[in-house]
Amino acid sequence: MATSNEARAYTMRPSRGTLRQDRYAPYFFISPFFILFTTFFLLPSLFAIGISLYKWKALGVPEFFGVRNFERLFTGDPIFWQAVRNTVFYAASSLFVVAPLALLEALALNSKRLRLRTFWRAIYFAPIVTSTAAIAIVFRMLYNREFGFLNELIMALGGVPVDWLGDRGVVKFSVMGVVLWRWTGLLAVYFLAGLQSIPDELYEAAAIDGASQPQRFFYITLPSLRPVMLFVAVIVVIGSIQIFDDPQILTEGGPANASLSVVQYLYTRGISDLLYGYASAVGVFLFVVIFTLSMLQLRLFRGGER
Amino acid sequence: MVEPKSSKLLGTLLLNICVALGGIIMAWPIVWMVSASFKRLSEIYTFPPTLIPKTFTFANYQRLFTDWPFGRWYTNSLVIAILITLAVLFFTSLAGFGFAKYKFRGRQPMFLVMLGSTMIPFELILIPLFILMSRLGWTNSYASLIIPFMAPALGIFLMRQYISTLPSELMEAARIDGATEFGIYWRIMLPLMRPALAAQAVLTFLGSWNSYLWPLTVLRNRESMTLPIGTVSMMGSITAGSEPPVGASMAAATLITIPVIIVFLMVQRYYISGLTAAGVKE
Repeated sequence: MATSNEARAYTMRPSRGTLRQDRYAPYFFISPFFILFTTFFLLPSLFAIGISLYKWKALGVPEFFGVRNFERLFTGDPIFWQAVRNTVFYAASSLFVVAPLALLEALALNSKRLRLRTFWRAIYFAPIVTSTAAIAIVFRMLYNREFGFLNELIMALGGVPVDWLGDRGVVKFSVMGVVLWRWTGLLAVYFLAGLQSIPDELYEAAAIDGASQPQRFFYITLPSLRPVMLFVAVIVVIGSIQIFDDPQILTEGGPANASLSVVQYLYTRGISDLLYGYASAVGVFLFVVIFTLSMLQLRLFRGGER
Repeated sequence: MVEPKSSKLLGTLLLNICVALGGIIMAWPIVWMVSASFKRLSEIYTFPPTLIPKTFTFANYQRLFTDWPFGRWYTNSLVIAILITLAVLFFTSLAGFGFAKYKFRGRQPMFLVMLGSTMIPFELILIPLFILMSRLGWTNSYASLIIPFMAPALGIFLMRQYISTLPSELMEAARIDGATEFGIYWRIMLPLMRPALAAQAVLTFLGSWNSYLWPLTVLRNRESMTLPIGTVSMMGSITAGSEPPVGASMAAATLITIPVIIVFLMVQRYYISGLTAAGVKE
């Protein structure tokens, strides 16, 4: 229908002048994207891949280095591997702890048996719009070893205070605490949208057939949420691979790199130490990982659609 | 229906208690932040904490403007967020319109290139873009934070999805009346896109307001900083002994957060629909 209308519009042009305009107009409309994309994203991407093969420090002259940046990165750089391990920890705990909690939250906030639903939704969704920087600073105070609210609370309850940001074994969990606080609301929004798109008739039919509440949950709710769960899994993993703000503001990656993420490592090497080539190698590594995951996502979604 | 009444009641009670407890935990950092911003240092560190300050003080807020260029940071953040939002609305709706309502040679491949570009993580180009900005002399400038990000691919995709659902008949009528193609976009289509534009505006504004990595990379002098960068810089470098300006940083965090939450609550509907549109691609 729309196609035939469009086709007619093209044959019914009133004058030659408009005809020319018609033909080029869409190119003008989309050209700003392509100009900006080429200048600020495509060429820099190619440039990044190029300089990852060079030894290039700040104002010095780039020196061709082949794949030695990557060799050093993968075989001779324990800090990089530390950052990779930390980042995998962030991604895994986001996927297996934060996301399921968000699903639970969405189920609760969707329940008709919950009082003050709108009020609680506003509370739980508020973290979505808070600035990471502001919240990380607040958590830094709450986590403070001597005066922080958390330790005061623990001591009041008779526990032993914890060095939330200074203990190498604890700090990753402290970072995840902030991530949990900030991300569950956002993910719950997706789950909630998914829950609300399940037709009521399904539940009614199941109830008539005598399905119990848990049966309805496992045979209707969960399968219907499958596409949303896949989507959430992907954005959670890709998002946490790129984590930067929270550990940067909370600890700057410390103590002794115990909370350092891969992007923080890239930033430190590239912007603080001005090792352009080496940092770009880290960037290329990240690109390959994220690109692979995106492709996997596409295949999964195709598979889901059958 | 099949459950016994008492267990259903118990479940409801449990659900409400759990949600309330979780809600308190979720709200606590924000409540604590606002409350601490009006307290003296000694009271911030009292336990159990007071919700309403015993001695109410505005000193933390005053300090922000005397000891740091906080007003300047606020202006920077606000101007950048507004300019980038306007630019993004214009360029994404224009390109989305182009992709949705015209047939032209190369449309499909160009659309795929645009979609594919979302797979490039920003971190890959962090270094080259930083070098480019330095060469252009754009560091410490608004331009570095606005110009590269004026036409985001995801935004164009969202606009195209929305515009595809709008009727084409109006365009045809306007064309017969002699309207230019840009005139059709500006006067006929743009007003119809209002819901999508609103969602896009909220997402873009928040993205700019809260963005951290890129501003941290290109903004080096104190005057040019945005709010998040400036506020974190107030805390100084992390040293074990020295105590950061606690009250003042809570005041700053409050001023970053509260206006955004208020705006969000006003346009919540658009925001949620924008998020889910971005998420559940068809």
